[in-house]
Amino acid sequence: MSAPLKIEPATGSGETFVLNLGPQHPAAHGVLRVKMTMDGEYVMRAEPVIGYIHRMHEKMGENRPLAHFLPNTGRVDYLSALHYNHAFVGAVERAAKLEVPPRAEFIRVITSELNRISSHLVWWSAFLLDLGGFTPLLYAFDDREKILDLLEGLTGSRLTYCYFRFGGVVEDLDPGFAERTRKFIAEMRPRLKMYRQLVTDNIILRKRLEHIGPISPDLCLKYGATGPVIRGSGVSYDVRRAEPYSVYSQLDFDVPTFPESDSMARYLVRMEEIVQSLRIVEQALDKLPDGPVLGKVPRVLKLPPGDYCYAVEAARGRHMVRIVSDGKEAAYRLKLRTPSFSNLSLFEEASKGMLLADALALMGSLDLVIPDIDR
Amino acid sequence: METPVDTSQIVKFAMLDQLLDLSRANSLWPLTFGLACCAIEMMAAGGPRFDISRFGAEVFRPSPRQADLMIVAGTVNKKMAPAIKILYDQMLEPKWVIAMGNCAISGGPFVFPNQYAVVEGVDKLFPVDVYIPGCPPRPEALIEGILTLEQKLTGKRRWPVVKSD
Amino acid sequence: MSPTLDQIREHFSGPGLALSVTPTEHAAKGYHLDVSVAPAGIVPAAQALYALGFGLDAITGVDWIAQNEMEVVYDYFHPASPLRIVVRSRAPRDNPEFPTLSDVFPGARWHERETHDFFGIRFAGHPNLIPLLLPEDADYHPLRKEGAP
Repeated sequence: MSAPLKIEPATGSGETFVLNLGPQHPAAHGVLRVKMTMDGEYVMRAEPVIGYIHRMHEKMGENRPLAHFLPNTGRVDYLSALHYNHAFVGAVERAAKLEVPPRAEFIRVITSELNRISSHLVWWSAFLLDLGGFTPLLYAFDDREKILDLLEGLTGSRLTYCYFRFGGVVEDLDPGFAERTRKFIAEMRPRLKMYRQLVTDNIILRKRLEHIGPISPDLCLKYGATGPVIRGSGVSYDVRRAEPYSVYSQLDFDVPTFPESDSMARYLVRMEEIVQSLRIVEQALDKLPDGPVLGKVPRVLKLPPGDYCYAVEAARGRHMVRIVSDGKEAAYRLKLRTPSFSNLSLFEEASKGMLLADALALMGSLDLVIPDIDR
Repeated sequence: METPVDTSQIVKFAMLDQLLDLSRANSLWPLTFGLACCAIEMMAAGGPRFDISRFGAEVFRPSPRQADLMIVAGTVNKKMAPAIKILYDQMLEPKWVIAMGNCAISGGPFVFPNQYAVVEGVDKLFPVDVYIPGCPPRPEALIEGILTLEQKLTGKRRWPVVKSD
Repeated sequence: MSPTLDQIREHFSGPGLALSVTPTEHAAKGYHLDVSVAPAGIVPAAQALYALGFGLDAITGVDWIAQNEMEVVYDYFHPASPLRIVVRSRAPRDNPEFPTLSDVFPGARWHERETHDFFGIRFAGHPNLIPLLLPEDADYHPLRKEGAP
């Protein structure tokens, strides 16, 4: 299909019906529910109904000391847990003016970029599963396990990491880590070529994604969509560049953008980001300085009163933590600005008039993690 | 008042029952029902490294009518609870439930005094056969949970228990 | 293409637009400009920022129970410049009502529904102010401070 779809009422009578997608639905990525008003196969209105996995993270941030909230951050968007660790410890460090040793910053970058790759691999397999291809999942999970091995040796967990601490990271790299990571990078590059041959260049995939689900840059701004969604609309916005945090300003990487704005563009952005993340990890390993990995941190941490923000580029886009402090051990108000929330909010407008199957392709290309939306 | 008599307790087709139990234990069809973090580990268990199909439990069914095992993989909150109850009721007998992860067991890390959203344990909604602790449990733990369920069905363990040194 | 900080400050310098405009250090706070407006100034501020190319980042509420006020905080980001703007506004706690942003930024609809869920803050003119994250029949506002442990 080359031209954007127009709404052509199937019956001509304007008769519609309501299709309930979810909260348990294999194509809806967890417990997302979408109330769809359909005219035949065409979506007239798709209204996401969320909150089915609201887990009170913001309330919990208010009723416990900051350090006790840290494990929660790994469970908001469990696929990019380290980025969420990073945003929270970053906000606390910014407020308390804590020094982070350079070695710790580099380790943070290395681990977060590995986490980004593993997150994109899960997206890739789930997205292709939505489109009807099962085989890619087996390849992607194979590669993902290698990353999980690297991170598990370091952090102690496979998924919901809690590795960063206020003022650094909890544990130094083990002696063989750099070598194993380099070996993984060397293995991963040919795999990406294989992914390209197996899936990306596949004509069926191209037909399903090209010109499907266009999202204009203006729509992204109106809804606050970030990450691969806005970069797939040709806007080069990446928090690592716009508000450089950690040591990203010392590393050389590209921000891939594709101006086509369709589902394929968002797909290609993520595939290219894996390449860039591998580059970043490689450079960071080369530049890794010696020294301590945890700075001096007071035993009881109380933030000075005020309002502090810290944003990171998570795998799904801009994630910001806002801590409003009143000088006590716990935050007075903790706001998690999560990328999936904003990315999904544009779905209602973007999916209008699409075929149902195409709307699901659009939804998959937004890369949703439902607990990240509901918090 | 008349007490209902459960004939299955009196009349036994021993060999047939055993055969049915063995077949059921070796071909559990779980419901594709990911809630949160644990669902990713459930996917990993279906992936190439852990390969749950070695134990016959890889046929994830999207419809509760075709499934006989519900793996509750994640936090159940009060908005979700009615939906999950309906899913359980839609499954055909005989059916089993595995509560995977601390959230499904007890609400896990999301329980605190006066909390307003989380159901503190999925066994408040329907009976649970096997509990798998962890946050999230590793795929090996899920496999062990499935083997435990097999043991519950057949009365004996088919696979050796891994002992730590 | 990308606006400078002075341009944005100029936008808020008109009479009656902003109560206060405070430049802040990004390294210390995480944003560049902290603008405080009256509830009536929220929509004009959003229109001005949208015209300059800003996108809506987030909307959140804060319950200042000691001052007996409710605050709503609007975050903006710019796709081509590193600038981050925070606009905040306060209303009395017993009648927290703010105008909706949904005509300027349709993405605000969800953020405002969430803020209404958590704090009971009403947004006048919102097309569909029903619970978003809480169950459909929820009548409690969990992040209000009076019930806090």
